[in-house]
Formats: sequence, C-alpha cells, structure tokens
Amino acid sequence: MFGSGSPTNTLDDFEESDVLLLMGSNTTEAHPIIANKMKKAAKQGLKIIVVDPRKIDMTKVAHRHLQIEVGADIALMNGMLHVIIEEGLFNDEWVRKHTADFERLKAQVKTFTPSYTAKITGLDAADIVETAREYARADKAMIAYTLGITEHHCGVNNVFDIANLAMLTGHIGKRGNGIMPLRGQNNVQGAGDMGCLPNMITGARSITDNQYRRRFEDHWGIQINSNVGDTQTRTFERMENGEVKALYVIGENPLLADVHLNHTAKLFNNLDLLIVQDIFLTDTAKQADVVLPAKSWGEVEGTYTNTDRRIQRVRQAVKADANVREDWEILCDLASRLGYKMMYNNSEEIWEEVRTLAHEVYGGISYKRLDQEYAIHYPCPNEEHPGTFVLHERFHQSYDNTLKSAFVPVAYTPPIEQPDKDYPFTLTTGRRLESYNTHTQTRHYASGVKLKQAEETVDIHPKDAARLKIEDGEVVEVLSRRGSLSVKAKITEQVVPGLVFMSFHWSEVPTNVLTINEYDPISGTAEFKACAVNIRKKNVD
Amino acid sequence: MEASETKTVKTICGYCGTGCGLLLEVTDNNITKIRGDKAAPVNKGQTCVKGAFAYKYVHADERLKSPLIRQDGRLVETTWETALQFIADKLTHIKEHFGPNAISMFACARSTNESNYITQKFMRAAIGSNNIDGCNRT
Repeated sequence: MFGSGSPTNTLDDFEESDVLLLMGSNTTEAHPIIANKMKKAAKQGLKIIVVDPRKIDMTKVAHRHLQIEVGADIALMNGMLHVIIEEGLFNDEWVRKHTADFERLKAQVKTFTPSYTAKITGLDAADIVETAREYARADKAMIAYTLGITEHHCGVNNVFDIANLAMLTGHIGKRGNGIMPLRGQNNVQGAGDMGCLPNMITGARSITDNQYRRRFEDHWGIQINSNVGDTQTRTFERMENGEVKALYVIGENPLLADVHLNHTAKLFNNLDLLIVQDIFLTDTAKQADVVLPAKSWGEVEGTYTNTDRRIQRVRQAVKADANVREDWEILCDLASRLGYKMMYNNSEEIWEEVRTLAHEVYGGISYKRLDQEYAIHYPCPNEEHPGTFVLHERFHQSYDNTLKSAFVPVAYTPPIEQPDKDYPFTLTTGRRLESYNTHTQTRHYASGVKLKQAEETVDIHPKDAARLKIEDGEVVEVLSRRGSLSVKAKITEQVVPGLVFMSFHWSEVPTNVLTINEYDPISGTAEFKACAVNIRKKNVD
Repeated sequence: MEASETKTVKTICGYCGTGCGLLLEVTDNNITKIRGDKAAPVNKGQTCVKGAFAYKYVHADERLKSPLIRQDGRLVETTWETALQFIADKLTHIKEHFGPNAISMFACARSTNESNYITQKFMRAAIGSNNIDGCNRT
C-alpha cells in the first residue's frame, strides 16, 4: 500500500505518541528493551491497548487489554474501521487527497457492526467501539505488531488491515504516527533488504524492475534471471515432488523451527544434496550431505539493520578457530569454483559495493560515518544526508501528493483448524524470555545465571487443568492430527480456558510436530499461531 | 606466560531486532563480560538477560570446527578443499541436468548485511536462480 515493507518510524516515536495499539506482540519477553521504552512512555501518558489472546506482561501497563480469540484480528480491525466510518471519525479531505478505493473498504467492513465483531472476537462491543474512537481521535497514534499478526494463514491480510487503519485515520508519515513491525532477529530486516528474498534485489527493489536490475547486471557482468523465485514454502512443496535437487541452508534450523516437523524431515530425503552452513550441528545439519563450519557473532565484522531501519556496526571481538570460515568467504570460494569469480578482502569492500549499487538507500552510510555517528536510519542517499526518521512524509507536505495509497479491504477468515470434539483446545505458539528460537545458542548461558524457565511447558488455564485433574508440573500428553509429545503442564491465567500455549525452543519437546502446514498464500508464512490439540493425562486409559 | 590483557569491543547484540549496543570485555580471546553501551542510541546502557548473559555459545565445545561430509551414511570430518569441491561438482551437475531452478537457498537472518549481500549475489550470479528466501516472512 505504501510501496515498502519497512517500519515507518523509529523506536523513539513511542514516547511521542498518545495511543499505541500493540497487536500480537509479547514485547516483554520477545523485545525486552523495546518493552522498557513502551513502559516508560506509558508512564508519560501513552495509552497502550494490548490486543492479545494471552494475559501477557504488557497488560500490566495497558490502558486496556483486548483478550481476543486467536486469529480474530481482522474481525477486530474491520470492526474498528466500521465504527470509524459510521461515526465519521476520519478526515474527508485526507481520504480524498491521499487514498483510493475508499468505497470498497466501506463495503467490506459494512457488516462488521460492534455486536457482530464482538461475537467473532469474544470481546465486549463497547470495548471495540471505545478502542476505535481512541485510536481515530488521538492526535498521534501508532500500531506495533509481531508474529502474533504474521504467523497466520491470513498474515498478509492482517498487515493490510493494519495499514487500512493507519491510512483511514491519517496516523502515518509524522513523528509519533506510524506502523512498527518489531523484528524478531538481529538482522532479519537487513537480510531482506540485501535481497535474500525471491522477489527482491539489494535495496529492497523488485527483481522484475528491468532498469534497476540492469544496474546490477552491468556491475556484476552477468545476466540476472528476471523471474521471481521460490519462497521457502514453495521450495518445500517442490521438494515434495522432487523438483528441488539441492538445498543450501545457512544458519537456519528449519527442521525444528518449521511447522509440521515430521513432514519436513521426510522432504529432506528427496534431495540429492543438502548443504548446511552453521556454527553448531543442528538437527537440520545432522541430515546434511555436507556441513560447513561458519564464524559466529563476535567473530565477524560488518553491519546489521535493526527493527527501525538503523544500520549499525558489528565488530570482531575474538578470533575464530583457524578452521572456521565466514559465510561470505565460503560463498566467494564456491562461486569461483562454479566459474563466477567473487573476490573481496574484507566486509567493508562488500559494503562499498552495496552502497554503490543501492545508493538511494545506503549511499551516504559509510563505515567511517557509522564509527562516528553510531547508527544511521536508511534511506540515506548521500554523505550529507542525516538519515530518515519517518517514512511517507509526503502525506503531510504542502505540495500535492500524486502517489495515492489504495486501501486493501480484507475479509475475515477463521483459523483453518478449529477445535472440535477430538481436539478441543487451540494451541498457540510463541517465544519465552530467556530463550531464542531453536535454542542452539541460548543453551549456553554464563554460569551463575538463574533462569526462570529451563524447560518447555504447555501453559494451561486453572479451570481446564482442574477439569482434566492435571496438576502443576505434571507431565501430560499433547496430541494433534499430525503428532504428539509429552511435556510438563504449567497452570497459569496467562491463557484463557480452551487455549494452551507452548514455545518451540527445546528440541527435547519438538512443538512443531503438532502445528499445521497451512500457509499464507501471499507470503508463504506458516500458521504457527493456531491449531487444534487434545491434552491427556499420561498412563490413563 | 604473558600477562593477559583485557580489551573492550563495541558491537551490536546478535539476538533480537532491537539492535542494542553492547560493550564486550575480552581476555585471552574469550568474551568474559557484556555490558550495555551507555552511548548506544537504542538501549542507552540497558541490556536484557539474553544480551548480557547468553554469549557462552561463541566459545562452546560443541562449535563445529571442521567441514563434515556424509560417507557410508555417517557425517565424517573432511578438509575444506574436499567439501567445497564436492559441493561445486554436485551443484554444477544439478545445474546442467535440471537447471538452476532445481537449486534453492535459505539465507540467514542472523548474518551481517555483507554476508547476506554475498549470499544473494551467489545465488543470482553463480547459480542463476532467484530461489532464495529467509525467515524474513515470519
């Protein structure tokens, strides 16, 4: 809608805002330092409205907690859009000047009356109306979200509806107004921006943009395939029918991290060549034909791009083992063996090539400037440019905005697998504070650190536990249509009756044997956040 | 034995996407302590439990220290030369017989921008395929 997939503002903007819709983000555990910023802002008057099926820690500082049914986010947002339109809480002139397809949006949300929305979301109609009013009427308002929004079969539509809300109310393009996806990994933003995507090349521009692609072809001295490539999901599908012969996996552990683990393991057998480049022998690496030992954080030089478009310098602290190589060194060696010569002496030479080619975005960001200024927000096209703090400022500049943003009306679709008689619980998955993804690194804490959670649990509401006669700490069986596992129960009011929660940090408890292999048709992101399970006491027939 | 010296290295945390600035204390090629960097614009000296304490993995005994290759069903240690030439020969064969579209890459959201730039350049220039994706989508 806005022409880019980047966070629109900076993390400092929370302090300048009046209302924050915090959607599907367990900020305290997944982004502790950002949670601190939000809590500080809340003390200064920021009204935080938490939208989450679980009573997460952020609800303690929240102005309101909308404890929504898993996967009902679009219903809530369509309901809010309905209220904003019905009550005229938007600026006609803004909508005329900057947007397109308003009538289509209006038609899409027409049926989402507060009472209908309340029924789907499990929320109070009055709370839905009040949230819509507060967000729309605020002088400055922001929306922040994480995987609770994207890890659904309708993840892309969820994000479209967030953009619809911001666009209708004009909460975009100014300090304290915008949309902030909070990124889970240190350089997930950077990896995408660099072009590690099937449809994008360095500078986050489309691979089908002939003029832009030609710039790279000239510099690289080679013709680049102009067809969009396969997403991870599509690659798995093509592995199934044998069309993918070789898979090269760098620093990822798809066997443990991806949905429907048992199925993923079988797919690897269909390959002629599986290459895994990593710092540990992960479960995925154990299946490989060749494993290449890589350098880790602390051993390399370079840059990361954080969740608010900030480029910062990463420096080498220790020397790696002499027989371990850096990712780019390995790939340059391999490329030369494949007949395409790639030669660099250090990471700065690579960065200089990035700056030259994607100059609109990084032209002004040199290692020297980063040493002096610590961080620079892209886009920063030249050395004199201070960096960009807020995107889409065109909406508020005096000249006529010719680049109108079309609304993308979206329909509500419930989670694909609904609880039923055999599998009466909804399982939702997420992260825990002290652990990180598949936990290959966070197993290694400094000695003497007391951890709150040292093993996996299935988090269950006291009412459900009482009904099933399950005690806190008791090992129970969790079953879905795809697999089963044993895990300790943790009785907590963080979840509501009917909902259970697990993370996927521990390979001893491979949560993703339970999850469902349903994907968003546009992004290919899997529905980690909802599937149906049953919980049983062990050794009881 | 030489007296050990402690140096401090400024860097960015390798865990979540917040981008906190850290100061690493290093003695005898070992990270011994991590503090938040007060000069860092994002965290202004704060750190979370992961950033401050979960660094021992860098020095873990289980770190891979040699290329491994599958022989008779088992992964065994090999040289870089053997491993890389084996991969190059296999990839060339697959490219010739099935085309570049039969090769896919999952890139790493933890690696630097520089390594990620080279990763996609490798796929697009040396392999000739846009089948590259990361967990950027989640």
